[in-house]
Formats: sequence, C-alpha cells, structure tokens
Amino acid sequence: MAGRSAEVLLGLGFAGIMTTLFLGFQWAPSVAIDAFESPAAQRIFYWHVPAAWAAFIAFAVLFTGSAMWFFKRSPLGWRLHVAGAEAGLACGLIAVWSGCVWGAAEWGTPWDWTDVRLNTFGLLTLLALFLVLGRQSQPDGVESRDTFSTFGLFGFVLVPFTYIATRIWEIRHPGPVVGAGDDGGSLSGDMAIVLFIGALSFTIFIIGHILISMRITSLEQRLEQAQHHIDGGK
Amino acid sequence: MAEVLLSIKGAEVRRGMGIVLSSFDLQVNSGDIVVIHGANGSGKSTVIETAARLLPMEKGQVSHHQHLTLHSDGRRKKPIKPFGLTLQSNGVIGSETIENHLRTVAALAGKEVDLAPLLESYDIQHRTQDIIAHLSGGQQRKVAVLAGLLPAMVCDEPTLVLLDEPDAGLDDAAIKTLTQHIASLASAGHGLLIASHNPSLREIGTKLHNLEAEKTGVVNTAEPWKTRGQPTQTRNILFRTGHRYASSTHAGLARNGLAALMVLGCMLALGDPSILPSGLWQTGGILAPAFASGLAGDPTSHLMQEARANDWWRSQGQRTPSALGLGVLIGGVVTAGACYVCIGEIEIMLVLIGAIMCEGTMGGVRLLHASTQRLARPNAVFIRLLLPAFILPWALIVSWAAGL
Repeated sequence: MAGRSAEVLLGLGFAGIMTTLFLGFQWAPSVAIDAFESPAAQRIFYWHVPAAWAAFIAFAVLFTGSAMWFFKRSPLGWRLHVAGAEAGLACGLIAVWSGCVWGAAEWGTPWDWTDVRLNTFGLLTLLALFLVLGRQSQPDGVESRDTFSTFGLFGFVLVPFTYIATRIWEIRHPGPVVGAGDDGGSLSGDMAIVLFIGALSFTIFIIGHILISMRITSLEQRLEQAQHHIDGGK
Repeated sequence: MAEVLLSIKGAEVRRGMGIVLSSFDLQVNSGDIVVIHGANGSGKSTVIETAARLLPMEKGQVSHHQHLTLHSDGRRKKPIKPFGLTLQSNGVIGSETIENHLRTVAALAGKEVDLAPLLESYDIQHRTQDIIAHLSGGQQRKVAVLAGLLPAMVCDEPTLVLLDEPDAGLDDAAIKTLTQHIASLASAGHGLLIASHNPSLREIGTKLHNLEAEKTGVVNTAEPWKTRGQPTQTRNILFRTGHRYASSTHAGLARNGLAALMVLGCMLALGDPSILPSGLWQTGGILAPAFASGLAGDPTSHLMQEARANDWWRSQGQRTPSALGLGVLIGGVVTAGACYVCIGEIEIMLVLIGAIMCEGTMGGVRLLHASTQRLARPNAVFIRLLLPAFILPWALIVSWAAGL
C-alpha cells in the first residue's frame, strides 16, 4: 500500500475532482440572477478556483525545489522542481482554460491583456510550460539545472504579485470571495461545501501528481547513472 | 621568480551529470608551455574552459595573475589582465573580416598592431579583408589560433594563453609556424596552456600533464617573441563591435525591421488603418510595429550563437557585444511610418514612445536570451514562451499614450 500511495492519492483526487464537477453543475445552488452577467457560467468557479489553488501549491513546490537545488545542489530539490513545474503546468492550464470559458461568458472576451491577475497567472503557467519543455530539450546537467532553477526562483516573485493583484488593481478578475474579511465572504453554505470539496480534491490530486512525478524523475536519474556507469564514467 | 599566470586549485567540474575533473590542480607560470594530453573525453577541453571561466565549478577556484576569477561559490570576476583564448570552435561570427576580428582582439588587450607579418606567417595575408565565412575551414582555424595568441603577441607583460586543440585542421606549415610562435612567446615570458594530441606541440611542452600527474618536458630555448603592439583606446568596444556585427549582416533590418513591417503589412491587409477609432485602438496600431520589432530581440544575440562566439566573448569579460541603441533607431523609424499610415502625420511624442518601447523590449528580450546561454543547447530552449510578459507593460503604455 505504501508503495502505491501516490497512485491512491492521484485516484482519490481525480474522483474528488469529478465529484466536484458533478456537484458544481448539479447540486450547488444558483447565484442570484442579477449577480453576474452570465449567472450559470459561475458554476465553473468550482473547478477554476481549486485548480488555481492547486497551481499555487505546485508553484510553491517548484520554488522550494529550485531553492534547494540552487543553494544546496540537493537531488531531492531537483525532483521537487521538476514535479512542481509539471503539476503547476497541469493545474495552471486547467485554471486558465476554465477562466477563459467563464470570461467569454461573463465579460464577452476570454482574456484581457490589461488585467494584472490574468497576466501574472498566465505568465506563471507559461513559465511552468517553459520549464517542462526546456528540461526535455536539454541534456540533464548542472548547467541546465542551475538555469531552470534560477527561472523557478525568479518566477515565484510572480506568486505574491498574482495573489495581491485583485486586491490592488481589480480590473476584470473578481476580488476574493473566501476569506475576504467580510464575515465569511459572500458564499452560501452549500457553495462553500462544494468549493471546499474541490479544493481538497485538487490538493490531494496535486500531492499524488507531485509524488509520482518525483518517482519518475528519480527513476530517470537512476537510469542515467546506470548508463553512465556502463559508459565507464566516474 | 616566474609569475603565476594561472592557478586552478581543487577544481571539481561536471559536464552533464558526470564529474569530469575532480580535485584537479594546475599552475601555469610565465615561460611555461603546459601541454594537456589524454584520451578523448578525458577532460582536456574542460580544463581550458574552466580556466577561461566558461564552466561553473562544484569545488575549487581559478585565479589569473593571482587574482580570483572564478570560485565554486559562484563568484566570477573579470580577469585583471587580458588573456588569449582559442576554443575548439573558432569563436567568431562568419560576417566579420579577418582584420576587424583580429583588431578587436588586440583592442581588448588595449593594443593595436601591424597584422600583416602575422597574417603572412600563416599565409592568409591575401585574405585580410575577407569575411571569415568565405575562408576554408583551415584558414578559419588559423584566424582563431592567431586570435588566441594575439594578446600575448602584443603585450609586454606576461600574458596567459589558452589553446584548445589549436592544431586541428591546420596544415603542416601552419603547425610548424604555430609551434615556433608558442615557443617564442614562452621565451618572452608568456605562459601557455594547450590541450592537444599533436606530437609537435607535446615536443615543445615545458610541462606535460595527462590530467592525472604532471611531468617536466623540454627546456625552451627559442628566441623570445619581439613584436609588440602600440597602446590604443578600448572605449565602447562592446557597443562598436555589436553594431558592426548588426550592420555587417543587416540583421537589425532583417529581424527587427521585418517584424515591424509584417505587423504594419497585416494592419494594411485588414483595411485602411486611418479609419481606426482614435484613442486606444489608433495608438495601439501605431505602437504595435515598434513593439513587434523589439520582441524580435537584439540581432547580435542571435549572430553570436555562431561558432561559440558568445562563449569567446563571455570569457573575455562580464558582458558581450550588443546593438544597444538600435532599438531606438528602428522603433523610431517604424513608429514614424505607422503614424503616417494611421493618422497621415508624424506625432513626435508617439515616435519617441515607440523608440523607447522598442529599445526597452529589445533589452528585455536580450536579458531573457542571455539567461539561457549557459545551457548545452541554448537554441533548443523555449525562452520565447515568456515573451507574453511584455504584453501587459505594452498595453499599459498604449493606454497611457492614448490619453496624451
């Protein structure tokens, strides 16, 4: 069981995400008809918000891993970097895609290049894509790890910037509705339950994703060491 | 007492994930010809490139003239004195003429020199004004070798020279000239570190190093090198070289100008830009070509990918040549053109904004580009994925400019 914990977490998370999708579309109460331009599209938030939350967890893992590799040359740090980038890309794309769907329905445009939150989050996702594709395009080595770790470290600067963006410059993206400091926010109890299930599911999913990704990277490293040993390297 | 020109202490260097050098020590004194030999893949080039500050070290340090230049903790300082370097690749872009390249190398050492006798000794004096790309492989190598030897040839003070397989591709006569030059330079008090399999070069080595141990070679009895250079100004050499690279290839026009023209062409293909609604859309249309031009990046960054020219320049200092200011020129011209197309007159303020925007964007792209140069395959990395980072600043500038 212990050896399969990553797969179990991934499976549980996936089931939870599907459940969230079902509850969000079928069970959660509708918002007031005048709350949004397109009230029905609001249901996509039950996916969008947890996906963005999970992406931030992944970006934090990416930052931690980058720092561990850059300052300590820790192999664990590099595995965390790789796993964080891949998980950040997966969840970032879900958040961006679902946000675009909602934006198209609510604002009449899927993207606004002048909105700080949209742009900084989109850039974080592009950074994750750059790191994932970049790692695949380069031979593994300290030079490539140093370079990508540097991007991972600098990229994390965007995270607090993204977090505070809607508090300082609310252009298109709505401000916080959970924990906004106005007596629990504007969510009804049922809505909060679905959102909580979504956040929990995405968190479990992302942990499973990261664990599996780290295991794959570890196996890749062992394979490379074995090949290097066969080639007569030190 | 001989001056220590190069000192490598306790170096541990990785190539890929393999450790190529471990606890490696080496010293080159003035008058030394240290020849590193060993099987392919044993780490000869790694020693040269570590000495030239091109590779990061896991442990240890490198000093030139007893001043730290590279440390495993990440410190990388410009050497206090010029040094010669010939990499396995020639380290020069194909559009440079022989004369321009060698004059630039001499100028980096703060000297100018009559190149004719030097070029004659390698039988390439008749190609002085030819661009490197038009030379044969062997002739290109001769230029690279001369560029490596030149700092020592023009300097009075003991100078370090690093040569990686300098004999590769040279004919017998050129190898004979090379060995004579090396011996003469060492007699004049310069120190040379050479990675080579060539028996002729090993025969003149005063120290032979097989990457495990060092043993004493022959005593150098050659006549000391007599040619000396005259002092010259080296101000703005990176700026001048960058602009020479850009102008000799017309890369600025081809890359940046064309990007701007494409945007302008696309706007014209959609209809009459002069009927764009005034304000945000019109200003955006006017500034879009300059922005696209900046996104194409500094043209010299791309040129210097050729033959590891970028690495050669990196070894010589902290910065590499760049076409600084080209963005102002291109951005200004294309914005003026866009102004004329969209509003029928040239708005000086918008031209100024376009020029600054183009230069700023070009500088940002240059920075992104430079950040991936340590990678084994810098051209294969997807750094342009991060270019959307420039869209938000552009949009904010456009909305500000529209309100003027």
